[in-house]
Amino acid sequence: MAGIEIRGLTKSYKMESGTLQVLRGIELTLPEGEITVVLGKSGCGKTTLLRLVGGLEEPENGEIRFPGEQKTAFVFQEPRLMPWLNVRDNIEFGQKKNQRNREDTARIIHTVGLDGFEKSKPHQLSGGMQQRTALARALAYRPSFIMMDEPFAALDHFTRESMQQELLRVRRETDASILFVTHSIDEALTLADRIILISEGVVSAEYRLPQKQPRDILCDELIAVRRAIVSALEKPNDSTPV
Amino acid sequence: MKKKNKWVPALIGIAAIFAAWYFVCWAGIFNSYVLPSPQKVWATFLKMLKTGEVFRDIAISFGRVLRGFGIAFLLAFVIAAFRIFFPKSEPYYEYLIQFFRNVPPLSLIPLLILWCGIGETTKTVIIVLASFFPMYLSIVKGFTGCDRKLLEVARSFSYSPMRTFVRVILPSAVPDILVGMRTSLGYSWRAIIGAEMVAASTGLGHMILFAQQMSRTDKVIVGIFVIGTVGYGTDRLLGLLIRCFVGGTAQNGWN
Repeated sequence: MAGIEIRGLTKSYKMESGTLQVLRGIELTLPEGEITVVLGKSGCGKTTLLRLVGGLEEPENGEIRFPGEQKTAFVFQEPRLMPWLNVRDNIEFGQKKNQRNREDTARIIHTVGLDGFEKSKPHQLSGGMQQRTALARALAYRPSFIMMDEPFAALDHFTRESMQQELLRVRRETDASILFVTHSIDEALTLADRIILISEGVVSAEYRLPQKQPRDILCDELIAVRRAIVSALEKPNDSTPV
Repeated sequence: MKKKNKWVPALIGIAAIFAAWYFVCWAGIFNSYVLPSPQKVWATFLKMLKTGEVFRDIAISFGRVLRGFGIAFLLAFVIAAFRIFFPKSEPYYEYLIQFFRNVPPLSLIPLLILWCGIGETTKTVIIVLASFFPMYLSIVKGFTGCDRKLLEVARSFSYSPMRTFVRVILPSAVPDILVGMRTSLGYSWRAIIGAEMVAASTGLGHMILFAQQMSRTDKVIVGIFVIGTVGYGTDRLLGLLIRCFVGGTAQNGWN
Protein backbone atom coordinates (compact mmCIF):
# COMPACT_ATOMS: atom_id res chain seq x y z
CA MET A 1 0.00 0.00 0.00
CA ALA A 2 1.38 3.40 -0.95
CA GLY A 3 2.09 5.66 1.95
CA ILE A 4 4.59 7.94 3.55
CA GLU A 5 7.87 6.15 4.16
CA ILE A 6 10.33 7.20 6.80
CA ARG A 7 13.76 5.59 6.56
CA GLY A 8 16.67 5.89 8.99
CA LEU A 9 15.61 9.25 10.38
CA THR A 10 18.01 10.78 12.91
CA LYS A 11 18.03 14.11 14.68
CA SER A 12 20.09 15.63 17.47
CA TYR A 13 20.20 19.02 19.13
CA LYS A 14 23.22 20.91 20.33
CA MET A 15 22.90 21.74 24.01
CA GLU A 16 25.22 23.52 26.41
CA SER A 17 26.13 20.22 28.00
CA GLY A 18 26.76 18.45 24.69
CA THR A 19 24.74 16.85 21.95
CA LEU A 20 21.32 15.42 22.64
CA GLN A 21 20.50 12.57 20.28
CA VAL A 22 16.71 12.56 20.07
CA LEU A 23 16.00 10.24 17.14
CA ARG A 24 18.39 7.40 16.34
CA GLY A 25 17.05 5.91 13.14
CA ILE A 26 13.28 5.85 12.88
CA GLU A 27 11.86 3.34 10.38
CA LEU A 28 8.17 3.81 9.74
CA THR A 29 5.56 3.51 7.02
CA LEU A 30 2.34 5.50 7.27
CA PRO A 31 -0.22 3.78 5.06
CA GLU A 32 -2.75 5.92 3.25
CA GLY A 33 -6.04 6.55 5.03
CA GLU A 34 -4.84 5.21 8.39
CA ILE A 35 -4.55 6.85 11.76
CA THR A 36 -1.09 6.16 13.11
CA VAL A 37 -0.68 7.15 16.73
CA VAL A 38 2.79 7.74 18.12
CA LEU A 39 3.02 7.08 21.85
CA GLY A 40 5.94 7.62 24.14
CA LYS A 41 7.09 9.21 27.36
CA SER A 42 7.55 12.92 27.35
CA GLY A 43 10.89 13.90 25.84
CA CYS A 44 11.17 10.71 23.78
CA GLY A 45 11.16 12.59 20.47
CA LYS A 46 7.51 12.27 19.42
CA THR A 47 7.12 15.93 18.62
CA THR A 48 10.51 16.03 16.89
CA LEU A 49 9.42 13.18 14.62
CA LEU A 50 6.25 15.04 13.76
CA ARG A 51 8.08 18.28 13.05
CA LEU A 52 10.51 16.48 10.76
CA VAL A 53 7.70 14.82 8.83
CA GLY A 54 5.90 18.16 8.60
CA GLY A 55 9.01 19.85 7.21
CA LEU A 56 9.25 22.30 10.11
CA GLU A 57 12.77 21.01 10.84
CA GLU A 58 15.47 19.40 8.76
CA PRO A 59 16.54 15.82 9.53
CA GLU A 60 20.21 15.01 10.08
CA ASN A 61 20.17 11.72 8.25
CA GLY A 62 17.57 9.57 6.64
CA GLU A 63 14.68 10.50 4.41
CA ILE A 64 10.95 10.94 4.31
CA ARG A 65 9.32 9.89 1.04
CA PHE A 66 5.87 11.13 0.15
CA PRO A 67 3.90 9.30 -2.54
CA GLY A 68 3.19 12.13 -4.99
CA GLU A 69 1.86 15.53 -4.05
CA GLN A 70 0.51 15.74 -0.53
CA LYS A 71 -1.61 18.47 0.96
CA THR A 72 -0.53 18.51 4.56
CA ALA A 73 -1.94 20.25 7.58
CA PHE A 74 -0.58 20.56 11.09
CA VAL A 75 -2.48 20.81 14.37
CA PHE A 76 -0.17 21.97 17.12
CA GLN A 77 -0.21 21.44 20.87
CA GLU A 78 -1.40 25.03 21.28
CA PRO A 79 -4.12 26.53 19.11
CA ARG A 80 -1.74 29.03 17.45
CA LEU A 81 -4.53 31.18 16.05
CA MET A 82 -3.84 34.57 14.53
CA PRO A 83 -4.99 36.94 17.31
CA TRP A 84 -6.06 39.65 14.84
CA LEU A 85 -8.34 37.35 12.81
CA ASN A 86 -11.81 36.22 13.84
CA VAL A 87 -12.80 32.57 14.00
CA ARG A 88 -13.97 32.38 10.39
CA ASP A 89 -10.86 34.06 8.98
CA ASN A 90 -8.66 31.87 11.14
CA ILE A 91 -10.38 28.78 9.81
CA GLU A 92 -9.85 29.98 6.24
CA PHE A 93 -6.23 30.89 6.96
CA GLY A 94 -4.79 27.91 5.12
CA GLN A 95 -6.85 28.40 1.98
CA LYS A 96 -6.00 30.60 -0.94
CA LYS A 97 -8.56 33.32 -1.69
CA ASN A 98 -10.04 31.50 -4.68
CA GLN A 99 -10.43 28.28 -2.68
CA ARG A 100 -12.49 29.83 0.07
CA ASN A 101 -16.09 28.85 0.20
CA ARG A 102 -18.36 30.41 2.78
CA GLU A 103 -20.71 27.41 2.81
CA ASP A 104 -17.93 24.89 3.41
CA THR A 105 -16.53 27.08 6.16
CA ALA A 106 -19.96 27.38 7.76
CA ARG A 107 -20.34 23.59 7.65
CA ILE A 108 -16.98 23.08 9.33
CA ILE A 109 -17.79 25.71 11.95
CA HIS A 110 -21.00 23.80 12.65
CA THR A 111 -19.11 20.49 12.85
CA VAL A 112 -16.72 21.75 15.51
CA GLY A 113 -19.60 23.38 17.38
CA LEU A 114 -18.63 27.01 16.98
CA ASP A 115 -21.89 28.30 15.49
CA GLY A 116 -22.45 31.91 16.47
CA PHE A 117 -18.77 32.53 17.16
CA GLU A 118 -17.73 33.21 13.55
CA LYS A 119 -16.93 36.83 14.29
CA SER A 120 -15.26 36.28 17.69
CA LYS A 121 -11.58 36.92 18.15
CA PRO A 122 -9.43 34.13 19.65
CA HIS A 123 -9.02 35.94 22.99
CA GLN A 124 -12.78 35.87 23.43
CA LEU A 125 -12.87 32.07 23.23
CA SER A 126 -12.17 29.42 25.84
CA GLY A 127 -9.12 27.19 25.42
CA GLY A 128 -11.25 24.34 24.12
CA MET A 129 -12.97 26.56 21.56
CA GLN A 130 -9.60 27.88 20.39
CA GLN A 131 -8.33 24.35 19.88
CA ARG A 132 -11.49 23.45 17.99
CA THR A 133 -10.89 26.46 15.75
CA ALA A 134 -7.36 25.18 15.11
CA LEU A 135 -8.72 21.76 14.19
CA ALA A 136 -11.28 23.38 11.90
CA ARG A 137 -8.48 25.37 10.25
CA ALA A 138 -6.67 22.13 9.43
CA LEU A 139 -9.85 20.42 8.17
CA ALA A 140 -10.94 23.37 6.03
CA TYR A 141 -7.66 23.05 4.15
CA ARG A 142 -8.86 19.60 2.93
CA PRO A 143 -5.53 17.91 3.58
CA SER A 144 -4.63 14.43 2.46
CA PHE A 145 -2.25 14.12 5.40
CA ILE A 146 -2.83 15.62 8.85
CA MET A 147 -0.19 15.80 11.55
CA MET A 148 -1.43 16.33 15.08
CA ASP A 149 0.75 17.05 18.07
CA GLU A 150 -1.20 16.28 21.25
CA PRO A 151 -3.99 18.50 19.95
CA PHE A 152 -6.51 17.58 22.62
CA ALA A 153 -4.19 17.52 25.63
CA ALA A 154 -5.50 20.79 27.02
CA LEU A 155 -9.19 19.95 26.61
CA ASP A 156 -11.59 18.70 29.25
CA HIS A 157 -12.77 15.09 29.12
CA PHE A 158 -16.04 15.68 27.28
CA THR A 159 -14.69 18.10 24.70
CA ARG A 160 -11.79 15.75 24.06
CA GLU A 161 -14.17 12.84 23.50
CA SER A 162 -16.31 14.76 21.04
CA MET A 163 -13.22 16.01 19.20
CA GLN A 164 -11.91 12.47 18.93
CA GLN A 165 -15.20 11.33 17.43
CA GLU A 166 -15.07 14.29 15.08
CA LEU A 167 -11.61 13.25 13.94
CA LEU A 168 -12.77 9.69 13.29
CA ARG A 169 -15.68 11.02 11.27
CA VAL A 170 -13.34 13.18 9.19
CA ARG A 171 -11.12 10.23 8.52
CA ARG A 172 -14.13 8.16 7.36
CA GLU A 173 -15.31 10.93 5.05
CA THR A 174 -12.06 12.12 3.56
CA ASP A 175 -9.77 9.12 3.79
CA ALA A 176 -6.98 11.41 5.00
CA SER A 177 -3.89 9.84 6.57
CA ILE A 178 -3.32 11.03 10.09
CA LEU A 179 -0.16 11.00 12.16
CA PHE A 180 -1.19 11.64 15.72
CA VAL A 181 1.14 12.19 18.65
CA THR A 182 -0.08 11.75 22.20
CA HIS A 183 1.05 10.59 25.62
CA SER A 184 -2.40 9.36 26.55
CA ILE A 185 -2.76 5.60 26.12
CA ASP A 186 -6.55 5.91 26.23
CA GLU A 187 -6.52 8.40 23.40
CA ALA A 188 -4.26 6.14 21.36
CA LEU A 189 -6.57 3.17 21.93
CA THR A 190 -9.62 5.22 20.94
CA LEU A 191 -8.24 6.62 17.70
CA ALA A 192 -5.49 4.44 16.30
CA ASP A 193 -5.48 1.97 13.49
CA ARG A 194 -1.92 1.37 14.54
CA ILE A 195 0.03 2.45 17.62
CA ILE A 196 3.77 3.09 17.41
CA LEU A 197 5.85 3.24 20.56
CA ILE A 198 8.99 5.33 20.52
CA SER A 199 11.69 4.96 23.11
CA GLU A 200 15.37 5.79 23.03
CA GLY A 201 14.92 7.38 19.64
CA VAL A 202 13.72 4.32 17.75
CA VAL A 203 10.41 2.58 17.10
CA SER A 204 10.37 0.07 19.95
CA ALA A 205 7.01 -1.59 19.38
CA GLU A 206 4.00 -1.54 17.11
CA TYR A 207 0.40 -2.60 17.76
CA ARG A 208 -2.36 -3.02 15.20
CA LEU A 209 -5.84 -2.41 16.52
CA PRO A 210 -9.20 -3.82 15.38
CA GLN A 211 -10.99 -1.85 12.67
CA LYS A 212 -14.24 -1.56 14.60
CA GLN A 213 -15.37 1.96 15.55
CA PRO A 214 -16.62 3.22 17.95
CA ARG A 215 -14.50 1.26 20.33
CA ASP A 216 -14.97 0.25 23.88
CA ILE A 217 -11.50 0.72 25.28
CA LEU A 218 -12.51 -1.37 28.29
CA CYS A 219 -13.06 -4.53 26.22
CA ASP A 220 -10.72 -7.43 26.88
CA GLU A 221 -8.81 -7.12 23.64
CA LEU A 222 -7.93 -3.45 24.14
CA ILE A 223 -7.14 -3.95 27.81
CA ALA A 224 -4.60 -6.56 26.73
CA VAL A 225 -3.05 -4.06 24.30
CA ARG A 226 -3.04 -1.46 27.03
CA ARG A 227 -1.17 -3.82 29.39
CA ALA A 228 1.38 -4.55 26.71
CA ILE A 229 1.94 -0.83 26.06
CA VAL A 230 2.28 0.01 29.74
CA SER A 231 4.81 -2.74 30.34
CA ALA A 232 6.75 -1.73 27.22
CA LEU A 233 6.87 1.89 28.37
CA GLU A 234 7.89 0.90 31.90
CA LYS A 235 10.88 -1.16 30.81
CA PRO A 236 13.77 -0.28 33.14
CA ASN A 237 16.26 0.17 30.30
CA ASP A 238 14.01 2.79 28.76
CA SER A 239 15.98 5.81 29.86
CA THR A 240 14.38 8.98 28.66
CA PRO A 241 16.75 11.56 27.21
CA VAL A 242 16.76 14.74 29.24
CA MET B 1 -19.99 59.75 33.74
CA LYS B 2 -16.80 57.94 32.89
CA LYS B 3 -15.84 60.47 30.24
CA LYS B 4 -16.46 63.35 32.61
CA ASN B 5 -14.19 61.74 35.20
CA LYS B 6 -11.40 61.56 32.68
CA TRP B 7 -11.55 65.23 31.77
CA VAL B 8 -12.03 66.74 35.22
CA PRO B 9 -8.48 66.06 36.53
CA ALA B 10 -6.96 67.22 33.23
CA LEU B 11 -8.86 70.52 33.41
CA ILE B 12 -7.91 70.99 37.06
CA GLY B 13 -4.23 70.51 36.17
CA ILE B 14 -4.40 73.08 33.37
CA ALA B 15 -6.38 75.52 35.51
CA ALA B 16 -3.77 75.25 38.29
CA ILE B 17 -0.97 76.26 35.91
CA PHE B 18 -2.94 79.23 34.64
CA ALA B 19 -3.83 80.28 38.18
CA ALA B 20 -0.18 80.18 39.22
CA TRP B 21 0.81 82.12 36.12
CA TYR B 22 -1.89 84.70 36.76
CA PHE B 23 -0.87 85.04 40.41
CA VAL B 24 2.82 85.51 39.59
CA CYS B 25 1.96 88.28 37.12
CA TRP B 26 -0.57 89.88 39.45
CA ALA B 27 1.97 89.98 42.30
CA GLY B 28 4.49 91.59 39.94
CA ILE B 29 7.25 89.08 40.73
CA PHE B 30 8.63 89.29 37.17
CA ASN B 31 8.83 92.12 34.74
CA SER B 32 5.97 91.92 32.21
CA TYR B 33 8.60 91.65 29.47
CA VAL B 34 10.03 88.48 31.04
CA LEU B 35 6.63 86.96 31.71
CA PRO B 36 3.62 88.61 30.08
CA SER B 37 0.29 88.08 31.80
CA PRO B 38 -2.22 85.51 30.55
CA GLN B 39 -4.59 88.31 29.48
CA LYS B 40 -1.88 89.89 27.32
CA VAL B 41 -0.99 86.57 25.70
CA TRP B 42 -4.67 85.88 25.05
CA ALA B 43 -5.15 89.29 23.46
CA THR B 44 -2.10 88.74 21.23
CA PHE B 45 -3.43 85.32 20.26
CA LEU B 46 -6.81 86.78 19.26
CA LYS B 47 -5.06 89.44 17.23
CA MET B 48 -2.97 86.84 15.43
CA LEU B 49 -6.12 84.83 14.74
CA LYS B 50 -7.75 87.92 13.25
CA THR B 51 -4.85 88.71 10.92
CA GLY B 52 -4.58 85.01 10.00
CA GLU B 53 -0.80 84.93 10.31
CA VAL B 54 -0.91 82.10 12.82
CA PHE B 55 -2.96 79.93 10.45
CA ARG B 56 -0.45 80.49 7.66
CA ASP B 57 2.43 79.42 9.91
CA ILE B 58 0.54 76.38 11.18
CA ALA B 59 -0.33 75.28 7.63
CA ILE B 60 3.26 75.66 6.46
CA SER B 61 4.77 73.77 9.41
CA PHE B 62 2.07 71.12 9.21
CA GLY B 63 2.75 70.55 5.51
CA ARG B 64 6.47 70.18 6.16
CA VAL B 65 5.90 67.71 8.99
CA LEU B 66 3.54 65.62 6.89
CA ARG B 67 5.91 65.47 3.96
CA GLY B 68 8.99 64.59 6.03
CA PHE B 69 7.08 62.13 8.20
CA GLY B 70 5.56 60.42 5.16
CA ILE B 71 8.92 59.99 3.46
CA ALA B 72 10.50 58.73 6.69
CA PHE B 73 7.71 56.19 7.17
CA LEU B 74 8.08 54.83 3.64
CA LEU B 75 11.86 54.58 4.00
CA ALA B 76 11.67 52.92 7.42
CA PHE B 77 9.05 50.46 6.25
CA VAL B 78 10.85 49.50 3.07
CA ILE B 79 14.26 49.08 4.73
CA ALA B 80 12.79 47.08 7.61
CA ALA B 81 10.87 44.85 5.18
CA PHE B 82 14.01 44.42 3.11
CA ARG B 83 15.71 43.17 6.25
CA ILE B 84 13.01 40.55 6.71
CA PHE B 85 13.18 39.27 3.13
CA PHE B 86 16.99 39.36 2.92
CA PRO B 87 18.30 38.82 6.45
CA LYS B 88 21.85 38.39 5.20
CA SER B 89 21.91 41.95 3.86
CA GLU B 90 21.56 43.38 7.37
CA PRO B 91 25.26 43.88 8.28
CA TYR B 92 25.83 45.93 5.11
CA TYR B 93 23.68 48.83 6.24
CA GLU B 94 22.78 48.27 9.87
CA TYR B 95 25.98 49.85 11.27
CA LEU B 96 25.53 52.89 9.05
CA ILE B 97 21.99 53.30 10.29
CA GLN B 98 23.09 52.98 13.89
CA PHE B 99 25.81 55.57 13.28
CA PHE B 100 23.41 58.13 11.85
CA ARG B 101 20.87 57.37 14.54
CA ASN B 102 23.28 58.90 17.04
CA VAL B 103 23.91 62.05 15.04
CA PRO B 104 21.43 64.80 16.02
CA PRO B 105 19.76 66.01 12.80
CA LEU B 106 20.12 69.63 13.88
CA SER B 107 23.90 69.21 13.83
CA LEU B 108 23.64 68.56 10.09
CA ILE B 109 21.95 71.90 9.39
CA PRO B 110 25.18 73.70 8.34
CA LEU B 111 25.98 70.97 5.83
CA LEU B 112 22.41 70.68 4.61
CA ILE B 113 22.20 74.43 4.01
CA LEU B 114 25.38 74.19 1.95
CA TRP B 115 24.15 71.22 -0.03
CA CYS B 116 20.42 71.81 -0.32
CA GLY B 117 20.11 75.57 0.25
CA ILE B 118 17.62 77.14 2.64
CA GLY B 119 14.64 75.91 0.66
CA GLU B 120 12.16 73.17 1.52
CA THR B 121 14.60 70.33 0.82
CA THR B 122 16.73 71.08 3.88
CA LYS B 123 13.71 71.12 6.17
CA THR B 124 12.32 67.94 4.69
CA VAL B 125 15.65 66.16 5.10
CA ILE B 126 15.88 67.28 8.73
CA ILE B 127 12.42 65.92 9.51
CA VAL B 128 13.17 62.69 7.70
CA LEU B 129 16.38 62.26 9.70
CA ALA B 130 14.62 63.04 12.98
CA SER B 131 11.61 60.79 12.49
CA PHE B 132 13.16 57.89 10.56
CA PHE B 133 15.07 56.19 13.37
CA PRO B 134 12.44 55.68 16.06
CA MET B 135 10.07 54.43 13.39
CA TYR B 136 12.69 52.17 11.86
CA LEU B 137 13.57 50.62 15.22
CA SER B 138 9.93 50.00 16.09
CA ILE B 139 9.09 48.53 12.69
CA VAL B 140 12.14 46.24 12.81
CA LYS B 141 11.16 45.16 16.30
CA GLY B 142 7.62 44.48 15.11
CA PHE B 143 8.77 42.47 12.10
CA THR B 144 11.49 40.46 13.81
CA GLY B 145 9.48 39.94 16.99
CA CYS B 146 6.75 38.03 15.19
CA ASP B 147 5.78 34.91 17.15
CA ARG B 148 7.75 31.96 15.69
CA LYS B 149 4.83 29.68 16.43
CA LEU B 150 2.57 31.69 14.15
CA LEU B 151 5.24 31.68 11.44
CA GLU B 152 5.30 27.90 11.70
CA VAL B 153 1.56 27.81 11.10
CA ALA B 154 2.09 29.75 7.87
CA ARG B 155 4.91 27.41 6.94
CA SER B 156 2.78 24.36 7.65
CA PHE B 157 0.26 25.67 5.11
CA SER B 158 3.07 26.16 2.52
CA TYR B 159 2.86 29.95 2.58
CA SER B 160 5.25 31.82 0.28
CA PRO B 161 7.55 34.41 1.94
CA MET B 162 5.45 37.26 0.52
CA ARG B 163 2.19 35.75 1.71
CA THR B 164 3.70 35.10 5.14
CA PHE B 165 4.75 38.75 5.30
CA VAL B 166 1.35 40.12 4.34
CA ARG B 167 -0.79 37.68 6.33
CA VAL B 168 1.31 37.07 9.46
CA ILE B 169 4.33 39.34 9.96
CA LEU B 170 2.68 42.62 9.01
CA PRO B 171 -0.51 42.27 11.06
CA SER B 172 1.43 41.06 14.09
CA ALA B 173 3.75 44.08 13.80
CA VAL B 174 0.93 46.65 13.67
CA PRO B 175 1.10 47.65 17.36
CA ASP B 176 4.86 48.22 17.18
CA ILE B 177 4.55 50.14 13.91
CA LEU B 178 1.91 52.38 15.47
CA VAL B 179 4.01 53.11 18.53
CA GLY B 180 6.92 53.98 16.23
CA MET B 181 4.75 56.27 14.13
CA ARG B 182 3.50 58.03 17.19
CA THR B 183 6.98 58.57 18.64
CA SER B 184 8.27 59.74 15.28
CA LEU B 185 5.46 62.21 14.79
CA GLY B 186 6.51 63.92 18.02
CA TYR B 187 10.14 63.93 16.83
CA SER B 188 9.05 65.45 13.53
CA TRP B 189 7.43 68.39 15.28
CA ARG B 190 10.46 68.99 17.43
CA ALA B 191 12.78 68.87 14.44
CA ILE B 192 10.69 71.15 12.22
CA ILE B 193 10.64 73.87 14.85
CA GLY B 194 14.43 73.63 15.20
CA ALA B 195 14.89 73.69 11.46
CA GLU B 196 12.59 76.66 11.00
CA MET B 197 14.40 78.59 13.69
CA VAL B 198 17.63 78.32 11.74
CA ALA B 199 16.75 78.19 8.10
CA ALA B 200 13.33 79.55 7.28
CA SER B 201 11.28 82.65 6.71
CA THR B 202 7.94 80.97 7.45
CA GLY B 203 6.45 78.44 9.84
CA LEU B 204 5.89 78.28 13.58
CA GLY B 205 9.59 77.99 14.44
CA HIS B 206 10.38 81.09 12.48
CA MET B 207 7.47 82.89 14.07
CA ILE B 208 8.88 82.25 17.55
CA LEU B 209 12.41 83.26 16.65
CA PHE B 210 11.18 86.40 14.91
CA ALA B 211 9.05 87.31 17.94
CA GLN B 212 12.11 86.93 20.15
CA GLN B 213 14.10 89.28 17.97
CA MET B 214 11.25 91.78 18.16
CA SER B 215 11.14 91.36 21.97
CA ARG B 216 7.58 90.03 21.77
CA THR B 217 7.60 87.49 24.61
CA ASP B 218 3.80 87.29 24.37
CA LYS B 219 4.07 86.07 20.79
CA VAL B 220 6.70 83.52 21.83
CA ILE B 221 4.30 82.10 24.42
CA VAL B 222 1.46 82.03 21.89
CA GLY B 223 3.81 80.13 19.56
CA ILE B 224 4.61 77.59 22.24
CA PHE B 225 0.91 77.01 22.97
CA VAL B 226 0.10 76.69 19.29
CA ILE B 227 2.90 74.16 18.69
CA GLY B 228 1.87 72.07 21.69
CA THR B 229 -1.78 72.15 20.69
CA VAL B 230 -1.15 71.37 17.03
CA GLY B 231 1.30 68.57 17.96
CA TYR B 232 -1.23 67.08 20.37
CA GLY B 233 -3.94 67.47 17.74
CA THR B 234 -1.97 65.62 15.04
CA ASP B 235 -1.16 62.85 17.51
CA ARG B 236 -4.87 62.42 18.22
CA LEU B 237 -5.71 62.65 14.54
CA LEU B 238 -3.26 59.86 13.76
CA GLY B 239 -4.79 57.86 16.60
CA LEU B 240 -8.25 58.40 15.15
CA LEU B 241 -7.19 57.36 11.65
CA ILE B 242 -5.55 54.26 13.01
CA ARG B 243 -8.60 53.37 15.03
CA CYS B 244 -10.63 53.52 11.81
CA PHE B 245 -8.22 51.12 10.13
CA VAL B 246 -7.33 48.60 12.81
CA GLY B 247 -10.03 49.16 15.42
CA GLY B 248 -9.78 48.85 19.19
CA THR B 249 -7.47 50.90 21.33
CA ALA B 250 -5.97 48.71 24.02
CA GLN B 251 -4.43 46.23 21.59
CA ASN B 252 -2.81 48.61 19.16
CA GLY B 253 -0.98 50.51 21.89
CA TRP B 254 -2.97 53.69 21.43
CA ASN B 255 -4.90 55.42 24.17
